[in-house]
Amino acid sequence: MSADGIVSLIKQPAPGAASRATSRAPFWDNVRRNPMLVVSSIAILLLVLVALFADRLAPYDPTAIHMAGQLVDGKVLRPPYPPGAEYWLGTDQLGRDIFSRILYGIRTSLFVGVIVRGGVMIVGIILALVAGQWVGLLRDAILRFTEIMLAFPPLLIAMALTAALGPSLFTVTVALILVGWPDVVRLIYGQVLVTREMDFIKAARSIGASDFRILQRHVLPNIREILIVAFSIGIPGAIMYEAGLSFFGFGIQPPTPSLGSIISDGRGYIAVAPWYPLFPGLALVVMVLAFNFFGEGLLNYNKRPNKLTE
Amino acid sequence: MFEYVVRRLLAFPFILLGMASVIFCLLLLLPGDPARLMAGPGASAQVVESIRQQMGFDQPIPVQFVNYLSNLARGDLGRSFQSRRPVLSEILILYPKTILLALVAELIAVLVGVVLGILAATRHASVNYALMVLSVLSLSLPLFWLALLLQLLFAVDLRLLPPSGYKNGLDIYIILPAITLAIPTAGYLARVTNASLATFLNSDFVRTARGKGLKSRRIIFRHVLPNAVIPIASAAGTDLSRLFAGILIVEAIFGWPGIGKYAYDALSHRDIPALIGAVLFFGASVLLVNLAVDVFYGVVNPRIRYK
Repeated sequence: MSADGIVSLIKQPAPGAASRATSRAPFWDNVRRNPMLVVSSIAILLLVLVALFADRLAPYDPTAIHMAGQLVDGKVLRPPYPPGAEYWLGTDQLGRDIFSRILYGIRTSLFVGVIVRGGVMIVGIILALVAGQWVGLLRDAILRFTEIMLAFPPLLIAMALTAALGPSLFTVTVALILVGWPDVVRLIYGQVLVTREMDFIKAARSIGASDFRILQRHVLPNIREILIVAFSIGIPGAIMYEAGLSFFGFGIQPPTPSLGSIISDGRGYIAVAPWYPLFPGLALVVMVLAFNFFGEGLLNYNKRPNKLTE
Repeated sequence: MFEYVVRRLLAFPFILLGMASVIFCLLLLLPGDPARLMAGPGASAQVVESIRQQMGFDQPIPVQFVNYLSNLARGDLGRSFQSRRPVLSEILILYPKTILLALVAELIAVLVGVVLGILAATRHASVNYALMVLSVLSLSLPLFWLALLLQLLFAVDLRLLPPSGYKNGLDIYIILPAITLAIPTAGYLARVTNASLATFLNSDFVRTARGKGLKSRRIIFRHVLPNAVIPIASAAGTDLSRLFAGILIVEAIFGWPGIGKYAYDALSHRDIPALIGAVLFFGASVLLVNLAVDVFYGVVNPRIRYK
């Protein structure tokens, strides 16, 4: 999701926000009022477990080729095999089990999504803090550079970067961090500005606290909730970009399974074996949905007057 | 107001200059010999050397930078390695097709998104909830997968529409790519419409209108919607930049001959001048849209100008 999407999500009033603002309910009450957060947390937990134990859960080796042919009604069927008892979600044209490949694909997606978003957050937060704290040429340089970087088509730049560096898990991660950070600067910078004008920070400055101490002890803890939301809201975007890169062949290379490249391989078989490109895409949608609903739920949960609505 | 617009317009060429500089730096950072990259694998040393001289890669970097910028300033984007034609004239032919696709998609998205947003804000809470879940779903679909899904449904199964291609602009060929692009934007605009209507529906003037006995339809269309136009329109504007980002994917999959597909082909063939040209056009388009949105915002909402 783009930065505009994130900003608008943060600005939107939450359903039920008004009722919660008047009385601070205990934790479980909040959970009960926010089923979206609970369901999506469970979904994410399951996805993380799938990613961690993909090797135990997968019925087949994701790269094992099964070309022997299946006997159906006395006729020998060649791969791609349809979904059935033997291969739950069917196979690809080499007889590789789609279900097993999806499990490993989820592992790749989650890994890249979390690492990329983490990297993007670190770069973005540092630049936003620097720009917010030290007014002057440095701030202008950072903000102008951010504005320019925001105008570039991120997928195209990431594709060009991985093409030049040689596509791999590592270069995909680096490229996505390089194109992703401007979003975070735009998101955090405003919050830093608001926070550093607050009275207690002025007070800290007046008793001689150093810039670094103010940032570390006062500004950062105060925007913590926003940072957590920004982190989780950005993960689906990173997952989609990785899938997009891999779909166009500029991402993670075989034999490492990536949902994007499985869908890309399956494109040519869409008429004869629709399960081949469709199921990996469904896995992608479930993953992205889980994180989007989680971010949404987190926003509603955190919603207090004068915090995120600023 | 006038001063604000002039200031933004004056800054525009400098931002473009910054963009061009960033691209130049990115090219410098890339590993490998650009002349060899352009010549392609298996080219002889002589060919590589002639390309090096022709492109000026043998000169010092500051000289290269000045040459590059002065060429850009004269509108010379170089020649495509593949077609050997000037990049600028190639892009100028393709650009209107991209704009057409983007505008049709945006139009569909605004119509569908605003209508669904009004429904969500004014109907029962369960309708609201269902529509907002749908909106999150529409924002969670990977564009390339959504494109395949629509191709499978409308071209392979129902045989209603051509799976890909292009024929004189506004033809049935535009339907599938435009719908693919419109779906996430429609979901986003439905959210924005719903949220801004919801804030106005709780305001004093609506209570007054209710109090004097106006019908709710009249309240929505005469009192609430005109107020909500500003946030919706600026959201539609800022979302155009997201739409532009998706255009690369959609044009490449549906074979729509705009600059998105041009950029993708250039990338696949390591056609660096063509790629730079496409990136600059993409970036400039996004900047122009942002500028237009800001100016629009400044015109309709005077408070913003003093910030």
